[in-house]
Amino acid sequence: MANRPQILTDMQVSFCGSAGDGTIAAGDIFKRAMAEAGYQIIAFDVYPPEIRGFGKCIARTRVTFDQVYSLKPQSDVLLSLDDSHAIPHVGEVRDYGAVIYEDRPMATVEEGEHMSGHLKPAQLPYGVSFRELSERATSGARFRNIVAVGFIAGLYGLPRDLFHRTIGRKFAGKPAEVTESNIAAFDLGYDDGAKTFQVDINGFGPPPKRKKSEKVLMMHGNSAVARGCLSAKIDTFFGYPITPATSIMEILAKEMPKRGGRLLQTEDEISAVAAIVGAGFTGSRSATSTSGPGLALMTEVMGLGSIAEVPCVIFVSQRGGPSTGMPTKTEQSDLNLAVRGVAGDAQRIVLAPTNVEGCFKCAGIAFEIAEKYQTPVIVLLDLYLSNRYEAVALPNKNPFKLDATKWAKKPGKGDAYQRYKLTPDFISPRAIPGQQGMQHTITGLEHNELGRPNDQPAMHEAMSHKRHEKLKTAINYPNLTTSKRFGDKGRVRVGVLSWGSTFGECLEAMITVRKQGITCSAMKVVMISPLPVDEISRFMDDCDVVLVPELNYEGQFASIVMGTLGRPVHRLNRVTGTPMAVNDIIEEIQILAADKPKRRKAAE
Amino acid sequence: MTNIGAPVYLEEKLEEISRSGRLDYRSKSLPTWCPGCGYFSIVESVTAALNRLEIDPCETTVVSGIGCASRFPFFVNTYGVHSLHGRALPVATGIKVAKEDQTVIVVGGDGDAFAIGGAHIPHAARRNIDITYILFDNGIYGLTKGQASPTSVLGFKTGTSPFGNQDRPLNPLMMLLSHGASWVGQAYAGNPGHLSEMICQAIAHRGFSYLHVLSPCVTFDKTTKTYKNLGMMVRGLPDDHDQSDVMAAMHEAQKTEQPALGLFYTENRPTLGDGLNEISRRSQAGS
Ligand SMILES: Cc1ncc(C[n+]2csc(CCOP(=O)(O)OP(=O)(O)O)c2C)c(N)n1
Ligand code: SF4
Repeated sequence: MANRPQILTDMQVSFCGSAGDGTIAAGDIFKRAMAEAGYQIIAFDVYPPEIRGFGKCIARTRVTFDQVYSLKPQSDVLLSLDDSHAIPHVGEVRDYGAVIYEDRPMATVEEGEHMSGHLKPAQLPYGVSFRELSERATSGARFRNIVAVGFIAGLYGLPRDLFHRTIGRKFAGKPAEVTESNIAAFDLGYDDGAKTFQVDINGFGPPPKRKKSEKVLMMHGNSAVARGCLSAKIDTFFGYPITPATSIMEILAKEMPKRGGRLLQTEDEISAVAAIVGAGFTGSRSATSTSGPGLALMTEVMGLGSIAEVPCVIFVSQRGGPSTGMPTKTEQSDLNLAVRGVAGDAQRIVLAPTNVEGCFKCAGIAFEIAEKYQTPVIVLLDLYLSNRYEAVALPNKNPFKLDATKWAKKPGKGDAYQRYKLTPDFISPRAIPGQQGMQHTITGLEHNELGRPNDQPAMHEAMSHKRHEKLKTAINYPNLTTSKRFGDKGRVRVGVLSWGSTFGECLEAMITVRKQGITCSAMKVVMISPLPVDEISRFMDDCDVVLVPELNYEGQFASIVMGTLGRPVHRLNRVTGTPMAVNDIIEEIQILAADKPKRRKAAE
Repeated sequence: MTNIGAPVYLEEKLEEISRSGRLDYRSKSLPTWCPGCGYFSIVESVTAALNRLEIDPCETTVVSGIGCASRFPFFVNTYGVHSLHGRALPVATGIKVAKEDQTVIVVGGDGDAFAIGGAHIPHAARRNIDITYILFDNGIYGLTKGQASPTSVLGFKTGTSPFGNQDRPLNPLMMLLSHGASWVGQAYAGNPGHLSEMICQAIAHRGFSYLHVLSPCVTFDKTTKTYKNLGMMVRGLPDDHDQSDVMAAMHEAQKTEQPALGLFYTENRPTLGDGLNEISRRSQAGS
């Protein structure tokens, strides 16, 4: 890049406190201001399952000049709004990183309960009177969190008016006093920060310049999914609320009616998916969204979608399982269900985006693919991806095709329309209700080309073949990256094969170990079903050993890869309910790389 | 009683049927039901009604679940979805929401509706989605060869209740009336003229119409809901029955020993489509 600035910004700021402290709101203002300034952003909040109470909240934001793919293992700034929650996180602040805390707590603090007693030797302490400044600005302690944001902005010399604008937007629609109080609190914090000596040599350099042909917006995975749906001109949506998928439906509930679309909250997930099959039958672009428990309920109807050959799109955001599991924790354990959860042989298309921009692309393209191959398409996210924010550069031009259907011509006189006609590309030309002379009945029974029930051996073989072969060609669907390799080219010591949200951590780990002299490349697989076998195979040919890190106990993707390709991989599994730690992946790569090449023999 | 005097020639009869236009609504598949099954009357009545209402076959979609009754879509020449056991209503909801101008008719059995599909009925009714639900109640599971259903009578011996059914039957008419269906009627497969008339009215109604059809399964029920028994039980609704009075309708619906045939209740109120259009209007007006 031509004019890279002196300081290449890479700052991770963590706000930590209890639910009542406004921790998440403080993180939100900070990340929105940084995104508006033009920086790259990755942000992810962790909060307790209870709506109210004193559970721990952490809002982490990584602000960078170059694009990065995950949060860092270490933060540059930890801001404590509640020491009892933040003390256990002191260790995640790097040397010469800042720890900012309340220096005049309300009540007497017992031995060991104040942050000041917990800092590591090289960390930089900043005691700030959040409460006092808040009370001076607004005669109330409620704005401690905003004072804190102001202090950070002042300390690092970030533009004051940028934050004023962000605060103004956040409270637009509320009485003017609300914005005024927030700005007053911010300013006192800012002034205090600005006069404090900033010791750390790392800080915020200028943000990157953005292209004119794109607009940069900060959004989370679910809102990127909703935008993808809207760009693809979704017609109908049917859904049932469930964490962490609900916000997809809530955004669409607001936006679809404005554009002539229709959305209905159904009585359960079975009705939601049955309704999108009904809508899909009429030619409507239709979708639903759910999480693991809802997906489990949907499997029977998705089988109907496969055999009756109806286009429809199912967005799934995974959470900790099994059963109700951990609704507010992330996991990648619904892969088996998404890929294989169905009665009978009914392969379906499963796309798993790896970042927020990917959520937008996969969401839109899912409608094209569903239409083209006349089948249900699952787009598989997880809580981490659904809720994490990134600054995304969206193209100004709509990238999606608005009709990908292979339409039928009206049959000649005396000929009947064949809904399930066997063709060379295995796709039968479609007709939809309202078209004259093409009436037909779709069915979940095995059928002949006309759609009439037929369970003869040759017919079931021919139709099973048709349904599976047509999906294979989806791997070559244009404008869709089904898999992609990054890092070292050619032969490498360790290859990291990854899917879904964990890919970001894998990429960061790969970049780090390459700096340590280990040859390494990382491949993301976006199309999980059908699997791009050739690409994965070529990648594995180049790797001494292959590591598959994923957030489930069983190594579900590893099993799919091994089962499909018949080649061994190493698993790395975590079920902590949090994103995979980059350091865990780095360590595993180092161990594999140090191993004698006898493993390589085993892999061949 | 038919007039024995005048001879009927098959050719002329076929000519007459074909001229009537009703055959346009029939598919090339012949119904696969047992001879004597009450379901034959559905095909006759629905095609006659569509013909009378001049609804184009391509503007009509028939949706069913799974069961003997649910084979229906294969026997008509409209668009059709033969879906899953219990899921006809949500599929139909998707079709109607996506394509308001289709006439959507749902057909199914009592197990399909009130056992596995029970969760969907209240919601279709309360939303007043503009579809017609024709429910064929034979009080048994036909397709799976004779097990108890939610409308089987107490003590009925079936494959899964060899010592007699211990569960009290549901009262579908009471349920639909309380769920807020905007058109609730009852007919009997043994009275095809009346059935046909009721189907016609049900399709013509704007909103969720529920037609309960008593229909014997001649193969697996030889003792309870037979033509003989039902024929003796059914009666008409009282002449002064007020079709806009939901309490009167419920009162009649309670008399399960003497099921009444006719229109129990009807009201005009906004449909789901009206509601969604209103939301669209509000969202575009920015409120
Ligand atoms: C999920 C599921 N469970 C069970 C069945 C088996 N099954 C098919 S039809 C039927 C009951 C049919 O009874 P009813 O709905 O009353 O219709 P009828 O055959 O009497 O017309 C059952 C249990 C099925 N197809 N799918
Ligand atoms: S089994 Fe009963 S319901 Fe089914 S077709 Fe035969 S008579 Fe009709």
